[in-house]
Amino acid sequence: MKKLVSVVALASLSFGLLAAAPLAGDLVAAQKERIAAYKSAPKKRSHVAFVSNGVADFWTIAKAGAIAAGKAKDIDCDVTVEFPGGGLGDQKRMLEDLVIKGIDGISVSPIDPTNQAEVLNLVAEKSLLITNDSDAPSAPRLCYIGMDNYDAGLMCGKLAREGTKNGAGGGKVAIFIGRLEQDNAKRRRQGFIDGLLGRTPDPTRYDEPSKVFTEAGYTIVGTWTDSFDRAKAKANIEDVMIKHPDLALMTGLFEYNSTLAVEVIRQTGKEGKVQLAAFDEGADVIAAIKEGFVLGTVVQDPYGYGYESVKVLNAFTKGDMSMVPANGIINIPAKVIKKDNAEAFWKDLKAKIKAGKEAK
Amino acid sequence: MKRALGIIGIFLAILVFSIFFAENFTTGINLMQLTNRTALYSVLALGAALVIVTGGIDLSIGSVVCLAGIMTPWLLIEHEWTPWQVIPTVLAMSAFIGLCHGLLITRLKLQPFLVTLCGLLLYRGIARWMTGDQSQGFMGEYGDVRAIALAKFSIPGLTDYRLPATVIPALVLAILIGLFLSRTVWGRWLLATGRNESAARYSGVPTAWLVTGSYVACSLLAGFGGMLFIFDIGSAQPSDFGNFYELYAIAAAVLGGCSLRGGEASVVGVLFGVATLRVLQNTITLAGYSSQIEFAVVGGVLLLGVAADELIRRYAARRLERAGAVAARA
Repeated sequence: MKKLVSVVALASLSFGLLAAAPLAGDLVAAQKERIAAYKSAPKKRSHVAFVSNGVADFWTIAKAGAIAAGKAKDIDCDVTVEFPGGGLGDQKRMLEDLVIKGIDGISVSPIDPTNQAEVLNLVAEKSLLITNDSDAPSAPRLCYIGMDNYDAGLMCGKLAREGTKNGAGGGKVAIFIGRLEQDNAKRRRQGFIDGLLGRTPDPTRYDEPSKVFTEAGYTIVGTWTDSFDRAKAKANIEDVMIKHPDLALMTGLFEYNSTLAVEVIRQTGKEGKVQLAAFDEGADVIAAIKEGFVLGTVVQDPYGYGYESVKVLNAFTKGDMSMVPANGIINIPAKVIKKDNAEAFWKDLKAKIKAGKEAK
Repeated sequence: MKRALGIIGIFLAILVFSIFFAENFTTGINLMQLTNRTALYSVLALGAALVIVTGGIDLSIGSVVCLAGIMTPWLLIEHEWTPWQVIPTVLAMSAFIGLCHGLLITRLKLQPFLVTLCGLLLYRGIARWMTGDQSQGFMGEYGDVRAIALAKFSIPGLTDYRLPATVIPALVLAILIGLFLSRTVWGRWLLATGRNESAARYSGVPTAWLVTGSYVACSLLAGFGGMLFIFDIGSAQPSDFGNFYELYAIAAAVLGGCSLRGGEASVVGVLFGVATLRVLQNTITLAGYSSQIEFAVVGGVLLLGVAADELIRRYAARRLERAGAVAARA
């Protein structure tokens, strides 16, 4: 009998817990209610935060944007920028601390949204949650600011396709990426494959990373990850080039993957023999584009991510949600940098990095 | 040398597997890159071995790699120091870190695990703070300095294989440390200290200085290794550069026959330990296994290697005992 009682008690407790777990939809509604309440009593001076998914020059530029927005006359609010250097655990801690601090709103680039539900829910419950750079569609976020990573991947794939004579060149293709857990990585990779193979775009498509397959003249020989260990990332590229001496094309879908690909191409003297369609704005990548042995690179606008994040969060605290479109995505499109616009892009970038470093 | 037999056996077994199952494994360029990687990680593992010999441990190797590696381009590019200023400064700083570890352990009697664990956090934190968390690189400059790690030397008769420059410091260090441990009084004392520190101290061995010296050497080699790594890779991010490298170094040293209890070491074994880990990583890619399985394979082989080594040792000890008993009866 005792056993039965404890089983029933346990069952009702777990049911109670389940019932208590907030649903994403409810949390979104609750946040909207709070924003509506701000309409009649707007926050005098709000304090918002921008949280990256790691540490990189990319995020320094975003920081410059966020700080600049905080100082802009039409926005004028306090801004905290956090760069978690220790991965998932570090990001969780920073988000929790910001919530405890009583922050009014947070824009975060979640590292692994599916497994970060609790902490994202916490932010939504106590503050206002938006995402940047990498989306978490199933989380209770009010909007996403960034580019569509699938579209950016598509751009990179098309760049690669053009560079290899629109598929007539064909050949073996290798993909290098830091990690595949996060949403932006998966979508970027899929976009690249679809763009390269000239498929009809479909963001829901998913090619298994471990699968080797041939389509439209190209053979995708694999996708290699490195968990941000650069020595490993370099070894991956070297090893794949040895395994496939006839490798026609590669892509590095995170900034350092492309930088290291340029490094390995230089060291092995394969300039022009192995094509590279790059991602992001590594100094060596831009230099190689100018030299002419890298097809081009797809760059995001991190400054825009930072600026828009602060602008939107600040507007929320005044009860204004008008800048969020119906689909919840504020698109800041990526662009392709090739030999002709590389120099101008580089000058602008240096100025923004300088501003980010000096920003307080 | 006897201590290294186990690891040499494992290395050969993996080598044979790789030759048959890993595509293009035996090409000159692959072997060249493997030699380069083995040389780079050997510098760290040799340092780790020197500390392990004393019964200590250095968990800060990866962070020293990071600090030294990051400081090199930071001083060269951002602060426009000359290579002649940068290299000695970074090496001196690394040695100083080791000296602090050694003194804290021998004079203040703090646990090596604790001291170096604090170091692990401290040096990475400093590297991140110093550079404002910015990735540091050579911006395509200093090709002549980077040649310390990037140069390749042709070998007459071999067309495809060129000897990576990193082999020279790794080999010189291995020989020096090997000779030190086996041919000098100080080396013998170091082993004795690791085996039984109190006994060694009562016999008049300056154990405190020897232990301090081993930490200085370990950090110095980690700093030197960090420089070689950054010369090889070209750029690095303070938040992740060198992460877990202390574990690779310690694993290679232990796999190579260094006992974590101290008093035992084999330089040849350490080199083979490093090579085994590098060949495994290379084979996983070349044989077409998913990179996700890499850590599992490395962990599995490490465990197997250490267990096999222990069993062989016990078997040998029992045989020796039995032979001794037979001799006594006769």
